[in-house]
Amino acid sequence: MILSFITDLFQQDFMLRALIAGIMLGILAPLLGTFVVVRRLSFIADTLGHFSLVGISVSLFLSSLGVTMFFDKPLYLGIIFSIIGGLLIELFRRSYNNFQEISMVIVISLGAALSAIFFSLSKKTGSLYNYLFGSILTVTNYYIILILITGFIVAILFILFGKQILAVSFDESSAKFLGINVNLFQIVFIIMLSVVVSVLLESAGVLLISSMMVIPVAAGIKLGWSYKSTLIISIVFSELSVFFGLWLAYTLNIPSGAAIVSINIIILLLVAVTKKIVLKKRISKMDKLQ
Amino acid sequence: MQININNLSFAYGAKTIISNLSLTLNSGDYLVIRGKNGSGKSTFIKCLLGFNLVKSGMIFYDKVDITDFKSWTRFGYVSQNFDDFNYEFPITVGELLQISSLKRTKESERLKFLEKMGIFEIINQNINSLSGGQLQRVFIVRAMLNNPEVLVLDEPTASIDKQNKEFFYSTIEDLHQMGITIILITHNDDIEQLNYTHLLSMYGDLTTSFEERGVELKEGVL
Repeated sequence: MILSFITDLFQQDFMLRALIAGIMLGILAPLLGTFVVVRRLSFIADTLGHFSLVGISVSLFLSSLGVTMFFDKPLYLGIIFSIIGGLLIELFRRSYNNFQEISMVIVISLGAALSAIFFSLSKKTGSLYNYLFGSILTVTNYYIILILITGFIVAILFILFGKQILAVSFDESSAKFLGINVNLFQIVFIIMLSVVVSVLLESAGVLLISSMMVIPVAAGIKLGWSYKSTLIISIVFSELSVFFGLWLAYTLNIPSGAAIVSINIIILLLVAVTKKIVLKKRISKMDKLQ
Repeated sequence: MQININNLSFAYGAKTIISNLSLTLNSGDYLVIRGKNGSGKSTFIKCLLGFNLVKSGMIFYDKVDITDFKSWTRFGYVSQNFDDFNYEFPITVGELLQISSLKRTKESERLKFLEKMGIFEIINQNINSLSGGQLQRVFIVRAMLNNPEVLVLDEPTASIDKQNKEFFYSTIEDLHQMGITIILITHNDDIEQLNYTHLLSMYGDLTTSFEERGVELKEGVL
């Protein structure tokens, strides 16, 4: 069964596109996810996704009015709104320094409310399902180019500024003593995250993007012994989830995003249970030796 | 670096924490700040490090007003219990030091210091597996990586054992001998073991006293 799936992956165009998008999703989501988890901002992708949805709904509303703009694809306005959402989070985060999660509740509520209004005005609520849950099996060639460009830009930013972004993520208050312009790198990170979230939205969906960023990292933390190993383990888990999720979605004809997240959760549970059993065995072995 | 504090006052909302505090420190001085919990020690440090925003004209570094001061790499900072650092996420000592050394420093000096602090034995260990004493050594090394002129330590001995405390005091003494200005917050019980040059006592009722070792300079400022 899995062999025919692998053959189809390379023989059918839409499957090949899904595979490329999936591989990129499998790298980008946990890569940015590690930074998000280090900063204790696990809900940020969810929030940005909701704000990106505002851009998509506004775009659909404007096109229903016959307004043609240079951004004919809803994703463009989605990216712009995601960046606005990211900057709003940063703004609120600074004014509620000790209650950082409040900033996300404010922005997510505003995003949900505005997108509901504009989707309703655009009379295209039917397309809402795809944006909420994503569909990696229906991505276009155009999307593949976009996700590859996004991946390339993220790679360049990490090569140039990975050290600084990591230092600010681990310890914002001490970073300035290392000669890092903390405000600048916060903004660079939030813009990068906003763009990645809105690009991944089409394949992962608003409601599942956060899970794809955070769950592989949650499993990675359980096994990692260093930052590098945690990142690599998270990406491996993420890619495994994408592969088996695609297989499940293709074979059982179920939504791809939901299938990927379900596999992610299964991996997390397996890792957590196995680790507990191994630790218990080790402790009882030590007790016996004593 | 000369540090000049001129009638510093600070309040959280309506609650005044520091009132009309003045002192001057020169390069190589060793200031100990003592006081009970809630007496304003950490608030004072946060003002010095620019975390708490103060009005212009209150703090000067080499005659530059703190509101215009940008050269923060001249400071090294070890926070209380390393509060602001997310040490629950896996990261090795080596990785942490790698992301913390953005400024090129003399390799031989750096290695010497790392060896003295016992960092090489734990370089591949995950931060969250270290003891309180080891963690403290790592954070002192991190603060010193970029060769700061002033090292600020907020209650660094609160969660370490006696042996590590002694090692810590001798390390700070060595750094002081190297000409680094030390600003150290501590509890009263540690005071005799420290070879400080200046002492700032904060009494918790907005009164303070500042003295050069043995010589009282200022008292009961309100």
